[in-house]
Amino acid sequence: MAAFDPNIPLGARPAPPRETIVEFENVTKRYSGKEILAGVNLQIRRGEILCVLGPSGTGKSVTLRHINGLTHPDEGDVRVFGESVVGLSEEELSPIRRRLAMLFQGGALFDSMTVEENVAFPLQEHTTKSPREIAETVAEKLSMVGLPGTQRKMPSELSGGMRKRVALARSIALEPEIILYDEPTTGLDPLTSEKIGHLIVDINKRIRTTSVVVTHDIVMARTVSDRLAFLHQGRFQFIGTFSEASRGGHPVLMEYFRSMGFPCGTGLVQTVKDL
Amino acid sequence: MSAPQGQFTGPQPSATAIFYRNIRWLRFVDRFGRKGSAAMDYLGGLAELAWETIRACVSRPFYASEVMTQLDEIGVKSLSITGITAFSTGMVLALQTAYALAAFGGKMFVGRVVALSLLRELGPVLTALMVGGRVGSGITAELGSMKVTEQVDALRSMAISPVRRLVVPRVLATVLMLPVLTALADVLGILGGLLIAVVELQMTAQDYLTSIWNQLAISDIMSGLSKTFFFGFEIAVIGCFNGMRVEGGASAVGVATTRTVVLASICVLVSDFFLTKLFLAL
Repeated sequence: MAAFDPNIPLGARPAPPRETIVEFENVTKRYSGKEILAGVNLQIRRGEILCVLGPSGTGKSVTLRHINGLTHPDEGDVRVFGESVVGLSEEELSPIRRRLAMLFQGGALFDSMTVEENVAFPLQEHTTKSPREIAETVAEKLSMVGLPGTQRKMPSELSGGMRKRVALARSIALEPEIILYDEPTTGLDPLTSEKIGHLIVDINKRIRTTSVVVTHDIVMARTVSDRLAFLHQGRFQFIGTFSEASRGGHPVLMEYFRSMGFPCGTGLVQTVKDL
Repeated sequence: MSAPQGQFTGPQPSATAIFYRNIRWLRFVDRFGRKGSAAMDYLGGLAELAWETIRACVSRPFYASEVMTQLDEIGVKSLSITGITAFSTGMVLALQTAYALAAFGGKMFVGRVVALSLLRELGPVLTALMVGGRVGSGITAELGSMKVTEQVDALRSMAISPVRRLVVPRVLATVLMLPVLTALADVLGILGGLLIAVVELQMTAQDYLTSIWNQLAISDIMSGLSKTFFFGFEIAVIGCFNGMRVEGGASAVGVATTRTVVLASICVLVSDFFLTKLFLAL
């Protein structure tokens, strides 16, 4: 792993360009009569890392799944690369999905395949690369996530953190324009979580992608996010930078920060090392 | 709550009693309706998957290596159970026929009865039931656990159709292998009958085999084998559908697996009747 230095304050990173790459417009989603998303509006800009925060069960993952069309809204519109993905069939979604990648909560590696076959899978499906080129790309992506030489292993032989990193290698194999992370640190120890956080920032810079990170891990949100969006009661109650949020973004968000043992509302912005 | 109890007020039940009785009726109708609509949803989904599978079978992309893997998994690995089933059924058939026909001195018909019952009915149906149990449940369990661990969603998110990648190879492999398994089962069943005929009934192998050979029509073999294509399709599509619609965790996979075995068996037996009727009419 290279390039990421947690000592550089977040504000020192160059501001991302302003082009909107994903847009939610009044998105409503109900599950068995219960409204999970109640008119969500959100704009995601090209190149940024946006963290979607919120308590469990508020529909963070559902929001994420709207972006690549795994879930369709009951009302409202979702536009990706300026094109609406609502109501598209699986085949029509294909060209958009090829430009996106998603990291699933448990990694979702194909357990009948080796690590190498898993990472090679999208390359074999969507490129005309030769087996040698594919093997090279696989090796490169695996070392990018800090797991060089694990090609022959089966997913069942890997720890939870390693599985997520292999899944991350698979997600970046096609160098997607947007990466969707679904709870990338849930169930991992703090050290591994931190490593994953650094990877997200590192990858975002190296292959110039836009990242949407769904999490309830505030430390992680603070490490990686350019902006964060707080989802509560079916709506985004706060969208802004982390320091804006800790300076007093929204009462429920404050409460949420405090419940996670995160001092806020004092104007005091801490660094990761102090936590 | 129940209708008010009280003194006898004549033959007319009170308004309250009628009200509650109607509510009970409505609840019954409501529950019945819900069940019915859930069943319709299920059948609709099943038909949709069947149609999508057929469409995906005749268009690109096509995963030939996956089909090969499944041919091995579904076909070759089912050989032992279908073989044993057929062999012992053949033996039992020979014993029972000899017992039933002994009074009429009909021992020479044993071969014919065994062969006809096996080729026309028991071979295809028993093989389909065994494969339905082994392969159908296996498919549901595998796809179901892929579904709950988000591997199916992972495929979709990578712009790869789960129907093409997961369903089509399994359906094709089952449709192709079931007739092969049935043909082998037919042969083994007849051999089972032969064993009994020779050892228990003191017939010669030649008598047994010529009695079969002389009476057998090609339509006997074909009507049995052509059913198995339909059986194979039913088993695999039901297995895949139940696997793909699993929601929740490990227990849901178990429930879906049971449902596959039950439904696949029923479908095989019911469609067997209609297919037999159809082939007899042709």
